[in-house]
Amino acid sequence: MAAAQLTDEELLSELKRLGFIPGPVTESTRPVYLKKLKKLREEQPQQQRGSLGTRASKSRNSNTAAGAAGSGARPARSDVTHLSAGRSPGSCPALSPKSSGRAGKLLLGFSSDESDAEINQNKGGLVHRSGRRERGSGHHFQQHRPTATSGSRSQGGGVSSNTSKPFNSSALPDGKTGGGGAWWGPKGKSATGVHHLMHTERGVYGEKEEEEEEEEDDYDEEDRERGNPTLNGNSASCASSRQLAGDYSDSDEEEEDNPGKERHIGRRLGPRRSLSKSVLSVNKSARGMDSGQEGTGGGVIIINDKAAAESLDIARDQEGEKKDRGGFGIGSGLRNRSSCRSESWLLSTAMGEGTADSSANNHVSSNNGGGGVSSATKARYSSYNSVASPATASLSPRSNHSNHTGSNHAYSRTGPTKKLPETEEELLQQFRRDEVSSTGRFSAHYLSMFLLTAACLFFVLLGLTYLGMRGHGGAEADVVIRSHPFGSDFDAQYEDEEKSQILNILLRLHDHLAQIAGEHDCGYHFHENRSLSVQEASELLIISNCSYKEKVSTALEWILKSGEDVGIRLIGSDPKEEVNQVSDIKYLESTHPNMSFICRFQRAFVTVINRILIFLIGIGIVWGVLWYMKYRWRKEEEETRQMYDMVEKIIDALKSHNEACQESKDLQPYLPIPHVRDSLVQPQARKKMKKVWDRAVNFLATNESRIRTETQRLGGADFLVWRWTQPSSPCDKISIMPSKVWQGKAFPLDKRNSPPNSLTPCLKIRNMFDPVMEVGEDWHLAIHEAILEKCSDNDGIVHIAVDKNSREGCVYVKCLSAEYAGKAFKALHGSWFDGKLVTVKYLRLDRYHQRFPLALSCNTPLKASNTHMNTMSHLRLRTGTVNSQGRS
Amino acid sequence: MSTTSQKHRDFVAEPMGDKHVTALSGIGEVLGKKLEEQGFDKAYVVLGQFLVLRKDELFIEWLKDTCGANSKQASSCYTCLKEWCDSFL
Repeated sequence: MAAAQLTDEELLSELKRLGFIPGPVTESTRPVYLKKLKKLREEQPQQQRGSLGTRASKSRNSNTAAGAAGSGARPARSDVTHLSAGRSPGSCPALSPKSSGRAGKLLLGFSSDESDAEINQNKGGLVHRSGRRERGSGHHFQQHRPTATSGSRSQGGGVSSNTSKPFNSSALPDGKTGGGGAWWGPKGKSATGVHHLMHTERGVYGEKEEEEEEEEDDYDEEDRERGNPTLNGNSASCASSRQLAGDYSDSDEEEEDNPGKERHIGRRLGPRRSLSKSVLSVNKSARGMDSGQEGTGGGVIIINDKAAAESLDIARDQEGEKKDRGGFGIGSGLRNRSSCRSESWLLSTAMGEGTADSSANNHVSSNNGGGGVSSATKARYSSYNSVASPATASLSPRSNHSNHTGSNHAYSRTGPTKKLPETEEELLQQFRRDEVSSTGRFSAHYLSMFLLTAACLFFVLLGLTYLGMRGHGGAEADVVIRSHPFGSDFDAQYEDEEKSQILNILLRLHDHLAQIAGEHDCGYHFHENRSLSVQEASELLIISNCSYKEKVSTALEWILKSGEDVGIRLIGSDPKEEVNQVSDIKYLESTHPNMSFICRFQRAFVTVINRILIFLIGIGIVWGVLWYMKYRWRKEEEETRQMYDMVEKIIDALKSHNEACQESKDLQPYLPIPHVRDSLVQPQARKKMKKVWDRAVNFLATNESRIRTETQRLGGADFLVWRWTQPSSPCDKISIMPSKVWQGKAFPLDKRNSPPNSLTPCLKIRNMFDPVMEVGEDWHLAIHEAILEKCSDNDGIVHIAVDKNSREGCVYVKCLSAEYAGKAFKALHGSWFDGKLVTVKYLRLDRYHQRFPLALSCNTPLKASNTHMNTMSHLRLRTGTVNSQGRS
Repeated sequence: MSTTSQKHRDFVAEPMGDKHVTALSGIGEVLGKKLEEQGFDKAYVVLGQFLVLRKDELFIEWLKDTCGANSKQASSCYTCLKEWCDSFL
């Protein structure tokens, strides 16, 4: 094949012969087509056997999926790829539910567009993967697709190692597989025919790939749709988890995808159940779900991994494979997380398999026996090694692939795989972090609780101990008989026995008195008063020990002598007087009351509470003061703003009056102030605005040089009037570019850039404003007005919400029904507003309600409050009606 | 929609007019320079090439060959142009 000698015509005819419809061969396209020719020629021999099948299946696929039947494998593929890659706004006529779902490019759920950026980061990896899968390395898949789809169909329930023939013969009724198949089908054509050898394993792969396609289909959908990886608590199969992921995603979604998906899922679940078992039996390295019931999801993940592995095989980049597989596992694991609690296992197994796979890359083993499934699943969770052997089974076909596809996919290999490891790494790390945090969170939670209680307990104990110390402090000192406060004289004067007696007396006395005092203080009035009379004390002491009798007075004497506080206070008949003589002592009282534990605790508690209350009250006062100040400040601002508004209005009124005066000379060139006020301020508001008005008048008098205040006699009464003194200058006559007006349509709406029918009653309108540029508080009302005026013929708008913080200038609108929304769509989409091109999308009703619960109750159509239709002024101009000098 | 980048969205939102080729999604400074050298200095020229290739994925190959883009960049550009065509063509 001497490509260089081909003329353009020959090149064209060759390509056509091979079933590819090329465009014009120019100097820029020539090399591309040459490459294509080369590829096609190499594919040819391998495709001999499969070509018919692939053609047929492809045509079927195309038919079901994109409506472009057989001939245009390329066009079909391009249609389908754009189905998958970018949502085409419905340009494909015959749409499967899936593709029709995609058709609504403009149908999208909520995305706070700012979050798209985050989504992109997260999705970066996914995009890479899907993109890569889809395009470059996908050639592998292509082989599988056409066969796989048919294979899956034919294998309703069982594993069978099929040849290509059953593939060819079976029909592809379902749009989903068709969609998936078609997606890959045309690619399969162009890819090299690796896989006629794979037929035996094809059976194995058939289901997997079918699932894979679907997986990838939905995967890509989800990539587009889903905001952040969603962790649903959904234990259903992958399909339903996917749906739920869609539900929970915050990003834009296609409205129809859900009904499409449901049908999809319904169909899918059928074959899936039967497939799952076969998949499991065949495919050991089920990375995803563990048990049979979750096998569906598992199968899916397996497939993904396989697919990844296959594609990566081409590159023979073991590193990349590992990571990629891990990544895929994660990706699908992300989605299927809900159905498998042991995410960490997933990851670890994914990684483990990755390593295992790569190591066994070139090892061919046909390990298709079913036995190992459950064991494999268990093994998966236990160790990597056990996974390795099942994993080799999956590798066997792959190695075959690699043998065949060596030369073909140079351009597809290196780039994606290099990219992928990084993105997978990121995801991996993210995953790990998430997991760690989730497991750690529990212990962290308990730990914090524990620490808190420990701290509280500690402080409580501390306080109590302190109080206890205080209470006992005095007693402690005396307990040790040997240490006493009486000084060395005491020691010298008496012998030990006497000393101990005296001290014992005192001790007893002290304790008793403390107890009495404590009871008294706590409120238990067992004794009439706190103090004990000397007689009673003596009696008590004598009761306890007869020998104390003579010592009592000496003890008391010593207390007097010491002059320190020994815990007993001596009171004479007159409490105020100092006691100097023993005979004066009438009462004994304790200075260290010994209160019961509960009593002490109560008192401590009360004290603490009081202190806290005082503290809180202090804080409350401070906060109250601050709040009041803020309130006042805000009010002042508001008033000032109102004043300025009023001033502006006055100036405008005076200006216009002046102009009117210029034109007709019989008007007075001044306006009485009260008249101006009455014309500007509604009667109801006059009283309220009085303050504002006065301020405005003062402001004008002091700060406005173009207005002069004077007194004139009008109709017999003296009025303060305003005269506009600025001579009119040309610059005033120039009408300023009105800010918020509609300025016409950019492009006509047809079926290509708008969905064929209105899908939901909720709309998201983008690019209506720039939040950075807006000033003031009420500009969103102007936006409301603008929308209502634009859709003035449409009585069905019930709720408008302006997202003031959105970078893209989003406005959300809800209508009474989908057809009203459709009308509004037609009126708004593609129009120019305020110099910006407005675009409109449909939103899901439930998401709208989630975000704007107020809208649930709105049922009354809104009307533009201003009948002047100011925002349509330019359009009116265009249509030739009289323009009232734009919007001032 | 979440797999599309901001650049993509910006490009697809309005008629491309006279935008430079670097306004295309996937085409940055470096690739833009390379395309310029080849004569594709404006986005509409690249659009022309895209259309000549019948809006096919062959465009991706072409882009890779012409300016050395990798798969991701090329497919991003392809998607971008495709969506633009769907909206405005």
